[in-house]
Amino acid sequence: MLQRGRLLEFVLADLYGPQRLLREGLIPPELVYPNPGFLRPCHGIKVPGGHYLHLYAANLGRGADGQWRVIGDRTQAPSGAGYALENRIVMTRTLPEAFRDCRAHRLALFFQTFRDTLKAIAPRNRDNPRIVLLTPGPYNETYFEHAYLARYLGYTLVEGGDLTVRDNRVFLKVLGGLQQVDVIFRRLDDDFCDPLELRPDSFLGVPGLTHAVRTGNVTVANALGTGVLETPALAAFLPRLAKELLGEELRLESVPTWWCGDPGALRYVLDHLDALVLKPAFPAVRGEPIFPAELAAADRGVLAAQLRHQGREFVAQARLDLSTAPVLTGDRLEPRKMVLRAYLAADPAARSGFTVMPGGLTRVSAAPDAMVVSMQRGGGSKDTWVLAAGAAIDFSLLNTGARVELTRAGGDLPSRAADNLFWLGRYAERAEATTRLLRGVAVRLAERSGLADAPELPALLHTLSLQRDLPPAHAKETPESHVLRAVFDATHTGSLGSTVRSVQRLAGMVRDRISIDMWRALNGLADFPTEPSVYGDDGPTPADVLDLLNRTVITLAAFGGLAVESMTRGEGWRFLDLGRRLERALHMIALLDGSLTHPAAQEGPILDAILEVADSGMTYRRRYLGSLRAEAVIDLLVFDESNPRSLAAQLAALEDDVNHLPRPPRGAGRSPEQRFALAALSSVRMAEPEKLAAVTDGARLELKTVLDHVGGWLPILSDAITQQYLTHLQPSRHLAAPEPVRRTAAESGDRL
Amino acid sequence: MRYHITHTTTYAYAEPVSLCQNVAHLAPRPCHRQRAEPPTLSITPDPAVIEDRVDFFGNPVCYFTVQEPHRELTVAVEHRVEVMPEPVPAHAPAWEEVRDRLPRDRSAVWMDAYQFAFDSRFVAADARYADYARGSFAPGRSILDAALDLMKRTHTDFVYDPRATTLATPVAEVFETRRGVCQDFAHLMLSCFRSLGLAARYVSGYLSTLPPPGKARAVGADATHAWVSLFCGDAGWIDLDPTNDTVPSDRHVLLAWGRDYEDVSPLKGVILGGGQHTVRVAVDVRPEDEGVS
Repeated sequence: MLQRGRLLEFVLADLYGPQRLLREGLIPPELVYPNPGFLRPCHGIKVPGGHYLHLYAANLGRGADGQWRVIGDRTQAPSGAGYALENRIVMTRTLPEAFRDCRAHRLALFFQTFRDTLKAIAPRNRDNPRIVLLTPGPYNETYFEHAYLARYLGYTLVEGGDLTVRDNRVFLKVLGGLQQVDVIFRRLDDDFCDPLELRPDSFLGVPGLTHAVRTGNVTVANALGTGVLETPALAAFLPRLAKELLGEELRLESVPTWWCGDPGALRYVLDHLDALVLKPAFPAVRGEPIFPAELAAADRGVLAAQLRHQGREFVAQARLDLSTAPVLTGDRLEPRKMVLRAYLAADPAARSGFTVMPGGLTRVSAAPDAMVVSMQRGGGSKDTWVLAAGAAIDFSLLNTGARVELTRAGGDLPSRAADNLFWLGRYAERAEATTRLLRGVAVRLAERSGLADAPELPALLHTLSLQRDLPPAHAKETPESHVLRAVFDATHTGSLGSTVRSVQRLAGMVRDRISIDMWRALNGLADFPTEPSVYGDDGPTPADVLDLLNRTVITLAAFGGLAVESMTRGEGWRFLDLGRRLERALHMIALLDGSLTHPAAQEGPILDAILEVADSGMTYRRRYLGSLRAEAVIDLLVFDESNPRSLAAQLAALEDDVNHLPRPPRGAGRSPEQRFALAALSSVRMAEPEKLAAVTDGARLELKTVLDHVGGWLPILSDAITQQYLTHLQPSRHLAAPEPVRRTAAESGDRL
Repeated sequence: MRYHITHTTTYAYAEPVSLCQNVAHLAPRPCHRQRAEPPTLSITPDPAVIEDRVDFFGNPVCYFTVQEPHRELTVAVEHRVEVMPEPVPAHAPAWEEVRDRLPRDRSAVWMDAYQFAFDSRFVAADARYADYARGSFAPGRSILDAALDLMKRTHTDFVYDPRATTLATPVAEVFETRRGVCQDFAHLMLSCFRSLGLAARYVSGYLSTLPPPGKARAVGADATHAWVSLFCGDAGWIDLDPTNDTVPSDRHVLLAWGRDYEDVSPLKGVILGGGQHTVRVAVDVRPEDEGVS
């Protein structure tokens, strides 16, 4: 592996430099010129320390002869190192004794080396460079791994939109402004990294990044353009390259490979089709491997003709009879084919320039007879242990002996993450408040025998109708049917089901920002039904609905509780809290407006229901025992700042959050969002509880005035926060090209 | 012939643009048949970064960024270029000879040519282009004769129609509808040549237009232009302008060459903000001895 890494570095330095390998016939130009991975804008760019590959992976398979061979190389942004790490952590937790007794090498040293390397390649600031992990985003299938690695390595996880290039430098957009980035560890494919110079149809990257790299102000790992080596055809030329460039025999063989652009190789391939697997020469052209032996005769004829005409676009490899590993399926062990992905990290201190991961990611096929081992096809993965000759070195990246600078700043919250946390807070709270209200309605619908049995029901239904996000009730619809739609209607963006799914989606996007337990707590939402039909043809019974709502409240309450207990009060927590508080205040206003501003004659049951929905019944009963009085309920739910559910408590928290946000040094005085938060809080603090409870002409006008007033400030506050902190999250676009040429000599009648 | 060229591109935005990054191929490439003084490039607002370099294909290229909020971007370039006429070579090898030697000859000239024999984003080899080209590329025919004949056929078979295509129109559609503009015809000819296994490049530049007899030359009525250049082995590279069925001489001013439009588009950029935007281009190619005769 070390030799192969060294060799590939030589090849890259030549392809992006003098290209003598092409002139000397050591690599066919047909594998470079039409290769989508050969990035002409990157030609001639100097890489720090001459290193192109900082993390390199090779897929290894073991054939019937027991020999390990390389099946493929991953040179631009290899995935899976994070999965290897996660597998290891799970295994050491589940089988600690076995792990210790077997004396397997730990992985942490490898990652420590990788971290040191990324520090060493920083163009400036090498003691403490700012390193980010650039991900394509949550819709990428390995996003989990990106978030996991970012957390483990201590890098900020960013998307292209979080970065901007100014003055040939790359900056991270954080709440406080722009912070210069020194090293980008990227999980984006080469050409996606820059829509300006590399791939115009990609906006996952950072416009201008190529030029920033060219000017030496930022280092990208792996270097841009390294994907050119991912053509499987290269394997056919490595033995000779090893001799020419290193003066050595290639020590780790590749699976026998033939590039069909070579006439001799093509003849062999056509004569031995059945024993081979065919792949596209350039992996950017997504294509499935073809197994000629499995094809019908006619299709084989088509394939052979294709090979004769477009041979250079195909690579043939010997079919490897892969070795197997036992896999537990159900209650028994079954053999599955396996492929080991092994990793190298660049290591400037090592003679070879690399260090090997003492382990790797072993992937196993989904079925015993599967021909391709792939996680996308349902395969699994295994931890891979390399046994130590002596004692394994006990070393953990999570607890290194190195001295650290003590700090309490979380710093550098990307604006995008702030935006997502804000909305996560809002949706989580919206889901919880909606669930409590729906539960209040559903429990009374289930118990009533007539409206007379539940005099508070009309008030609750009225409150329900004030929830502007929920699907509105149809004319003549029964309350039961409306509640069912409010819970399940997947076609309505405001139904509880839709809100719950928004919570899950947003939590996935900020997975690196919330605690692992918070993420786990939300797993409780995973089985929230997408439609009522999952309960059978008759739909859910009232008991089913109540059970679902109860479980949902508990899950969301656990999430909220963990947010309080397991997140430091950094900028991220502030935005999550802002979202929660805003939403809770809005729901409290709607609850009080819907049920108390126009009191019924018999208010007792209504007050009881409000206390239940507002989760404040216990406090009330402890203070007032059985006596239900409107002024006492209003005091507890509007004014009492010691009640975490009260309106005033939300407003006080909002004011506190806003006061803790980073502020540009821009003169004295309060910022707009500080003023709006204070205005909302003051309008409650200045009111008098007794007056709010007073009824004039059948209405609580004072209460209505205060609620409307606060309800008016909150959207303004929300907009101000967005304006101040989140607006620069706009997308980049291409300039329109000038219209196609409109005039030529031909048009003007001129003939040459 | 000496030319004084002005080329102004103006983008107008409905909303402010806070950041704009650009790559411009707007400086005439020096080569044996043309001499150019360094162009004057004026950009408004003032770019924060402006850097010249040479791209992979040897063209001068300018990278610039505007980092202050703006509602209009103007890129004006002024050139003085002298273009020498070049005779068309009398002899050229048979086209198959060039085709067969391209993959084998590792000398610098042939290696440099070979890279233009492959597919690129706008140009993909296909049997239908090869079939069309074979109408001119008879076995054993001189590559130059065959190419001139293909150019003439293209000019006859295809209609110049600025309304028929946009930049995004694929060659396949141009081939189907038989309509397009100079870029389309250039990409079409490249597709034909590369489908035969020959090496050909896309050329971006200007064309000096002559006024209709008795009329004054209309300033700003000129345009950027595009044509192709075919590698003819020992006869060298021969330029061909299928839009006008002519071998470019001293009325074509070269800016840059590449595999297709994408490698050498005169100006491309990425913006942050801006909303709706419009673009205006004015080109004037004035012979310097104009009015003196």
